[in-house]
Amino acid sequence: MAVTHASRDAGNRPSGSHLNTGEGPTLLPLDIGHPAYMGLVDPDTAFWALVHKDRLADALEGGELLTSFHQKRASFQEEMQTLRFGLQPSAVYFNPTDRCNLDCSYCYIPQTMRRHGTEMSREKLLEALRLLQGHFAKTLPPSRRPRVIFHGAEPLLNKEALFAGIAAYNNEFDFGVQTNATLLDGEAVDFLTSRGVSIGLSLDGIRAETTHRTRKSWAGNLNVHAKVLEAMERLAGYPYYSVIVTVTRENASELPQMVEFLHERQVPNCLLNMTRCTLPAAREVRLADEEAATPFIAALERSHELFRQSGRKLVVANFANILLAILAPTARRLMCDISPCGGGRAFFALAANGDLFPCSEFIGLDSFRGGNLFAGGLDAALTSPAFHRVTGRTVETIDPCRRCAIRHFCGSPCPAEAHEMNGGMDRPGAFCAFYEEQTRYAFRLIADGIADDFLWDGWDDGVVTLFDKVGPLVTPEVSPP
Amino acid sequence: MNPVSPEKTMLKNPSPEHRAPRKDQVIATRKSCAADGVGLSHYILTERKGH
Repeated sequence: MAVTHASRDAGNRPSGSHLNTGEGPTLLPLDIGHPAYMGLVDPDTAFWALVHKDRLADALEGGELLTSFHQKRASFQEEMQTLRFGLQPSAVYFNPTDRCNLDCSYCYIPQTMRRHGTEMSREKLLEALRLLQGHFAKTLPPSRRPRVIFHGAEPLLNKEALFAGIAAYNNEFDFGVQTNATLLDGEAVDFLTSRGVSIGLSLDGIRAETTHRTRKSWAGNLNVHAKVLEAMERLAGYPYYSVIVTVTRENASELPQMVEFLHERQVPNCLLNMTRCTLPAAREVRLADEEAATPFIAALERSHELFRQSGRKLVVANFANILLAILAPTARRLMCDISPCGGGRAFFALAANGDLFPCSEFIGLDSFRGGNLFAGGLDAALTSPAFHRVTGRTVETIDPCRRCAIRHFCGSPCPAEAHEMNGGMDRPGAFCAFYEEQTRYAFRLIADGIADDFLWDGWDDGVVTLFDKVGPLVTPEVSPP
Repeated sequence: MNPVSPEKTMLKNPSPEHRAPRKDQVIATRKSCAADGVGLSHYILTERKGH
């Protein structure tokens, strides 16, 4: 039956029929900077549609898109609720030592800790793994293997204890190691790769001069850059391997070349992370928020050119995660770009003295210490007020996030930055404009049909489709007035 | 050491013509899976080993 303008205005449609009023679907327009498409986003459910600009008014007047979304909105809401509030911790960022042999400009662990801090003994490390195993056996289904990521500071400074833990518990945990690579010799690589341990390295430049501006040794006598390159050669071809590039004003102009450098060396994944601004020293080298997107997107474009030329991907994982947050919110790998963030609810951090924090970023901020694994235990820490300050931080309580269309693609990270730099947990994080531009760029890739080029092959294995409207816009038949 | 499988990473038909304008009037998709992400900006596990 034809729907006339008169009948559509007659007020006889049930509640929920109209866009943006009553129980109807909420969709905010989002200019994604694309010549042909405009975005529509429901901020609460992270549902989105891209509509050809010349059909936008028709799409908003009603039809199959709005009807289908309205029917599924409750299930999308439930999915977001589970993702945001219904997870159990399943990973531990485990610092087997407070100490580091480097003094990087932007480190979030205080300098005194890194220089003079505690080292966990072999016995204590094994006890910690035993306690963690016992906890996860109670909280996770048997099919879900918890992850332990040895992190730092520099975990390989305590290599003997760390390797003893991996050897003893490799069937109970999926292990990872994030290292500055200065101690990652051939023997260590053989030990870790033969056990399938995921390995993350850090490198900030294509030349030693650039790397050493931020990745400094205490006495300035360690050739960090060369050491990392040696480790990369040893790891060439290993699939569970990534390189973190911390982006600062010291290396931002070289990001496209950095991508070429990593791609040439067959690095499968990298992170191009804006430096976290939790501690004051990091703010000295940070890029201004509005300066971050241009070099970052140039690097992404270069990674795409290299993929198209060579057929081999270098996935920029932090951007891939923004794409996943849009395409399949529950498939995201990073738990920083969601609110509450993953700190204290998807993972937590263990310091070398057994202290527990919601995330590594809070180690060094004593007011966020939730307890101690060896004294008081994990359960008490997970429910502590210190943890709740992080697990209770939601974008709905932050201005301007509460009225932002992309708040569930961004999450207003990071709470440690918000607290330490911006004055409170109810403040946004450090890189609002950067997230705006990343999200718009991600939508443009989706509009151009090339988003998969920026994602891991097989990312959607085992993923189900909940909504799929791609093609002509189906609208109610409207009689001319 | 496990080499990266070439079939997993190689593009079948590399082409510079990768930004042809789409004809679709609407593009709206959503996919879902069990949420198991635990990465943070200091570290990312990209693969879903054991899951």
